Amino acid sequence: MKNKQLNLAVGRLGEKLAREYLQKKGYKILEQNYRTRYAEIDLVAKRKDVLVFVEVRTKVGEQFGTPEETLNFYKLKKVRQNAAAYAAHVRWDKLYRIDAVCIVLGENHALQRIAHYENIKS
Amino acid sequence: MLIKVPSALHIGLETVGVDVEINMASRGLPGFEIVGLPSKAVDESRERVRTAIVNSHIEFPAQKITVNLAPADIPKEGSFYDLPIAIGILSAVLDFRIPEKTLFFGELSLDGSLRHTKGALLLALFAREFGYKHLFVPKDSVNEAAAIPEIKVYPVRHLAEMVEHLVGRVQLIPVSKPQSLPDAETHPEFDMAEILGQEQAKRAMEIAAAGGHNILMVGSPGAGKTMLARALPGILPSLNETESLEVTKIYSASGNVKAGGGLLSTRPFRAPHHSTSLVGLIGGGSKPQPGEISLAHRGVLFLDEFSEFPRSVLEALRQPLEDGYVTIARALRRVQYPAQFMLVASSNPCPCGYLNHPKKPCICSPREVQKYRKRASGPILDRIDLHVEVPAVAVDDLAQNRQAKQGELSAAIRERIQRTRNSQQQRFREEGIQTNAEMKNAHLKKYVQLEPEVEQILRQAANRFQLSARSYFRMQKIARTIADLEDVKEIELKHMAEALQYRPKIHDEE
Repeated sequence: MKNKQLNLAVGRLGEKLAREYLQKKGYKILEQNYRTRYAEIDLVAKRKDVLVFVEVRTKVGEQFGTPEETLNFYKLKKVRQNAAAYAAHVRWDKLYRIDAVCIVLGENHALQRIAHYENIKS
Repeated sequence: MLIKVPSALHIGLETVGVDVEINMASRGLPGFEIVGLPSKAVDESRERVRTAIVNSHIEFPAQKITVNLAPADIPKEGSFYDLPIAIGILSAVLDFRIPEKTLFFGELSLDGSLRHTKGALLLALFAREFGYKHLFVPKDSVNEAAAIPEIKVYPVRHLAEMVEHLVGRVQLIPVSKPQSLPDAETHPEFDMAEILGQEQAKRAMEIAAAGGHNILMVGSPGAGKTMLARALPGILPSLNETESLEVTKIYSASGNVKAGGGLLSTRPFRAPHHSTSLVGLIGGGSKPQPGEISLAHRGVLFLDEFSEFPRSVLEALRQPLEDGYVTIARALRRVQYPAQFMLVASSNPCPCGYLNHPKKPCICSPREVQKYRKRASGPILDRIDLHVEVPAVAVDDLAQNRQAKQGELSAAIRERIQRTRNSQQQRFREEGIQTNAEMKNAHLKKYVQLEPEVEQILRQAANRFQLSARSYFRMQKIARTIADLEDVKEIELKHMAEALQYRPKIHDEE
């Protein structure tokens, strides 16, 4: 029980860090934790007429694997479906893409590494 | 945005047109898809194209790219679609027009350079037939394509260079004349002069080479059969223009022209091992590939240890030996490959190899000998025009021979054969064949008139040795070649008499 709460907190922190990071890069954040019946999209952003769906992955330390490794095919499929649903919902008729932001935190939850992958899976 | 780039598709030696259609959509998830029955190699072209474009310092568009290879129901193979696909995508990115009457061809390397790609000659032939004027090919394939003078062939080294040309910053220059690089003027392992004794076998070789006849050598181990065959390339005349194009087509289609190579000029000499499979020899596979017999087109197919080949493999030679081509039919497609080759076979007379040897005793039982002989069937042996025995040479004779006169040099024999071939070409210039061996019965009637006395001796021999109808006609062809070697118009008695010495000895008892 305690662990689950911890994980949730870490995830929230990661999303916050990712949001700030993207905003600094010039992205406009439209939604956070957008939920449909398929799954949740961590962040929906927009830049230069392209809708960007962002999946954020956060890990404390890399001893038990990198955050990049946790992006599996199944998860990506969910994100794709979800993205299509959102695009349909807001009647988006231009390009959209899926990005990932991977974050590694240090011991006292200080940011150790942050990486932004544009247009994954294309 | 829809872009169309013309390209082609090879089925065996035939080529049909293919349209590479590229759609770049600015909606939806970015992606890169190829449809139109691409094989694995074509599908993987996505990664090569993407990386090559990125490595040419051009940004790869984040759009939904769909490539269709039309017509969609014929499977596409090969790696040469890389360039047309890349050019199509780049024309949208950099906003240039795809030039008209132009074909692009070539496999991309990840760094954007173009690799030697098989089938360039076939594409050039296709271009000529369908009115294309310009052809862009990898630099290493340029000599092959430039063999077709009606097409302007441009050597391309790198994708970036290609793009520079298309946007008009640089002008690529078409090659004016294919470089004839020293096309592996392969020096044969042996010169005919090195072979001591065996005058009859050498003479038979010369006749076979002059008329393109098939020949079977039977003899004990170490008598020089293999040596004779290996010396054969040295006396073969070079390919003429028609032949060269035919042969290069096959080699180009099967990826056997090496990088930088152009039209082949030396006759192929193929010596497959006796463990070769039927498909390896005849050709085949689900996507029919040419076999050894087609790679030996207009050249020599040397089957050493003839009797060791599996029977099924040898029997499969029957039809191509007669027709000069082979049709390979599979469920999905049917392909015809030319296979006008000269069969040179060698075999031992019995399992131990010493039957009829002057000194060494043969240790085989008659039953074993018979069984051994049966390995090559009558129909196959009947299709071999010249049968010659290669007797063992005594060691004393060898030593003497070495000090005595040398045999005739290959070069001298070759000159004689070249002359004979030229006169055959002259004779058959309106028949679409090249050699005496290819004559059909209609040609025989037209070009081989026998004097009554010559015909009589042939008829006598046919009765006496029970020659088949096929052998009967084949003897006439050999006699024709022997007369040609002497540059004589009429076939004389001595020519026929010599031809009969080489008759098929299938049913003869020793």
